[in-house]
Amino acid sequence: MALQIINAGPEPEEVAGRIREAIEAALPDARIEVLPRGPGHFELTVTDAGFEGLSRVKQQQRVYAAITELMSGPNAPVHAIDRLECRVP
Amino acid sequence: MALDEAVQQELTRIIEANEVVLFMKGNRQAPQCGFSATVVGILDSILPSYHTVDVLSAPEIREGIKVFSSWPTIPQLYVKGEFVGGCDIIQEMVGSGELYQTLGVEPVEVVQPKIEVSPAAISALQQALSQYGGGGRELHLSVDATFQSHLSIAPRTPADVEAIAEGVTLLLDPISASRADGIRIDVADTPEGQAFKVDNPNAPRVQTLSVRELKEAMDSGERFELLDVRTPEERAIASIPGAVLLNEEEAARIEALPRDTKLVLHCHHGGRSQQAAEQFVSLGFTRVFNVVGGIDAWSQEIDPAVPRY
Repeated sequence: MALQIINAGPEPEEVAGRIREAIEAALPDARIEVLPRGPGHFELTVTDAGFEGLSRVKQQQRVYAAITELMSGPNAPVHAIDRLECRVP
Repeated sequence: MALDEAVQQELTRIIEANEVVLFMKGNRQAPQCGFSATVVGILDSILPSYHTVDVLSAPEIREGIKVFSSWPTIPQLYVKGEFVGGCDIIQEMVGSGELYQTLGVEPVEVVQPKIEVSPAAISALQQALSQYGGGGRELHLSVDATFQSHLSIAPRTPADVEAIAEGVTLLLDPISASRADGIRIDVADTPEGQAFKVDNPNAPRVQTLSVRELKEAMDSGERFELLDVRTPEERAIASIPGAVLLNEEEAARIEALPRDTKLVLHCHHGGRSQQAAEQFVSLGFTRVFNVVGGIDAWSQEIDPAVPRY
């Protein structure tokens, strides 16, 4: 019988906090909601006045640029952002 | 994470050298992930050729492009030096028509395809719908770049085109719709039980070419690939000038060509080349010709200097 191995990674809440901090550093006035959705998976809603007039891709690039470090490498704490919504206040 | 300077230069070079470049997992012929396959399917239906970079064979590119684009996922599409987006965004852009503009091509006019469904297939579809449908889930028909059809039950998307047959509504994405006019859906008995059978008159088929037409095409200076599917031993006896032996290496070269490349295949009498031609059609090639009568007809009708055997 194959045994399932569960690798204990960082707690989702802790990673959510790091995501929030990283986005705050890049977009200081943004309102940020981070929802953990299973190990390494998160949903984000970011509201920022700076998104005004940008295409959806450009808005999302600003958020992804802020959290690249958390998503890079084989042991990245963030595997995937399942949903990213960017809003203008 | 800082981007290595050499990687950054390499990415800039790739993006500047190619008007349309897709960073993907696998290649056009064999995408290695569903998202990459979806984008290849869309681009194949719009563009005869474009450049792809397989990130699986280049780990530094795979990580580098994510930082370079500020985009965490693969595939990634660049057009004229600009990042366009990933799979979701490209799918949306097909629906809105924006992708055609971005790629600088005339949009495909979305027409409602006429679809015929046999009474047996209607009741099977209705049964599937009553079992798995509901809650906004509807019947979808998609036709991929090789004209294989797929039926599924899923939520409707805004870009979907409706085709109504005998009271059953089928939803198609705009590219599938452009490939679906005249489709007939029936049910057939298979060893695994009943299955849907889809006949698509738009699917490319192997076309025929007489040796005279082949000679005319050669004399006109038209560009095409003339492939000899016989054995090297047969080629030693006789060959048509300009024909290239279809060995493994040559097959790999052909498979990497744009899908609208004209391929002309011949063998001794036309049997083996028909089979090989069908293979290329199944790979998505749209202009595939089999030389009727093969090299034997060539010897008799065009060039008696080519020995018969």
